[in-house]
Amino acid sequence: MKVEKISRSPLEELKRHVGVIQEAFKQAVIPDRVTIEYPRERRKYPENLRGFIVLDKSRCISCFRCAQICPANAIQMSYFENFYPGIDYTKCIFCHFCVESCPTGALASSTLHDMAFKSLEDMKVKPNQMMRLPATIREDVQSVEYDVTKKGWRLIRKMELEDIKVVRILPKLKPRRAFCLEPESCLGCRQCMEVCPHEAIVMERCEITLEGQIVGKGCVLKITEKCVGCGLCVRQCPMKILSLKEVE
Amino acid sequence: MQEWQFLVPDKKHKKKFFGNLKAEVIDAKLCCHCAACAAICPVDGIVSGDQPIDFPNWVKECVDCGACIKVCPRWEYKPLKGIGNYIEAISAKSKRFKGQDGAMVTEITATALEMGLIEKAIFVSRDEEWRTKMVTIRSPVQLYDRKVTGTKYSYADVLPALKDAVIESKAVAFVGTPCMISAVRKMQKSFKKFERVKLAIGLFCTENFYHHQLSEFLAKKGVDLRLATKTDIKKGKFIVRFVDGGRVSFPVKEFEEIIPSGCKVCQDFAAVESDVSVGSVGSESGFSTVIVRSEIAKKVIDQIREKGTAEIKEPDIQAVQKLCEYKVKIHPYPPKEKEKTQ
Repeated sequence: MKVEKISRSPLEELKRHVGVIQEAFKQAVIPDRVTIEYPRERRKYPENLRGFIVLDKSRCISCFRCAQICPANAIQMSYFENFYPGIDYTKCIFCHFCVESCPTGALASSTLHDMAFKSLEDMKVKPNQMMRLPATIREDVQSVEYDVTKKGWRLIRKMELEDIKVVRILPKLKPRRAFCLEPESCLGCRQCMEVCPHEAIVMERCEITLEGQIVGKGCVLKITEKCVGCGLCVRQCPMKILSLKEVE
Repeated sequence: MQEWQFLVPDKKHKKKFFGNLKAEVIDAKLCCHCAACAAICPVDGIVSGDQPIDFPNWVKECVDCGACIKVCPRWEYKPLKGIGNYIEAISAKSKRFKGQDGAMVTEITATALEMGLIEKAIFVSRDEEWRTKMVTIRSPVQLYDRKVTGTKYSYADVLPALKDAVIESKAVAFVGTPCMISAVRKMQKSFKKFERVKLAIGLFCTENFYHHQLSEFLAKKGVDLRLATKTDIKKGKFIVRFVDGGRVSFPVKEFEEIIPSGCKVCQDFAAVESDVSVGSVGSESGFSTVIVRSEIAKKVIDQIREKGTAEIKEPDIQAVQKLCEYKVKIHPYPPKEKEKTQ
């Protein structure tokens, strides 16, 4: 391919230069570009943004639901005082199934999405690091917001700064407790007892009686007051005879 | 606070419960491969399939609940024999379906589904090489498949499939050999949930085989099961029919070496504990003998009569009686070989 040299008159060249300078001045005074100048500008995010996940330790009942539902297998329950979830951000896909599955609203989403870690090891966030937002360095001087209308879309730039929010949506649930619907079908496998993180199900040896007659040796399984209604035993039961019921 | 009780069976050996089952049933060569233990095991550790029942690594993984012992029909084995109690016996041939003989198992299931007595039924289908696989029948249309109907003469995991069905739905039927029927009755005695098995259709049975042993044996005889359309045992002969219309037959006595040890102690020919037993003995060719033993089965048979979906005749009960006695004779319990070694 041949490129021919374009010859222009000096007057035309000058005209072009003036045009460029004019545009630059215009952009400096009233900018109308739609790209965000990160990190000098920070976008105002909607409240349902799926960002860094914050844990409220006092609400967590150690039910393991978040760990079980995680499709990326990014949640590891670690023990201190009780079992609490820690998220491995090398694996997390920010689907927030964990936040939505939490029966007590212990996990909450924040609008913080831009995180930096020093090493891959640091990305495995421990429960105690999840209890508050990580330390932030803010370089933004103004916030921007998209304004989408029928005519087109533009950016609105404001000088005030956006706060990083923690949005906690509490599930509308009454307290629940596990119940056995059909004790006659119990296998006696004690899987519910094994899986319970609160040791709320206990077993005692007994002599089985039938109308005052001792029939044989057996065991009694009890669901005690410690039950928090996490539903792990309901899922584990091989005969599916356990169920969650609301309690007043 | 809520509490409930469960019974723990007595142990005969100081081992975990599967160790007891292994010592008393499997190693004692009494296991009939009904797979009831595999179905009930809460940790899914017991494996069945085309191999003897086993629990690899049971010493560690068995949770020692005793459920397998509660459901095993061969634990403290008392053989059932004879023709059992029955309300009526008929000889019939379905007008709609094609099956092993009169396709009465298929007809009874289809009618029960149409009447709404059951939600689903567990049947055994097969693949090209006559390996068994489980199917759930939800509508009579599925029963027109010729792979679903007809006898397979191989062990199948009916009861594990039945347990899943029982957990999902409230009225289930299944087709099984006499040992499976006995196992389900034991399950119903121990665990209330199995009362959802509303209709237990028993088959007349003398013995069953492991698929790999049966196909190897037939391959040695030059029979390719992939070309077979039907297998049958009639009048002491094992008959294989082929796609091209040809047929070969061998005396059942030649099969002696591959009959599993568990079948050699079984004396229940007519599925005494079933709701309805079906088999070819006692009827002319193309007809099935149906022995009705419970009210629910009686209802189904009355419906078949009313609708006229089957041709009905008088059966030869004497012939069934004779075979029941014959099975007791050929399968003595305790086994004769044991006496010889003593």
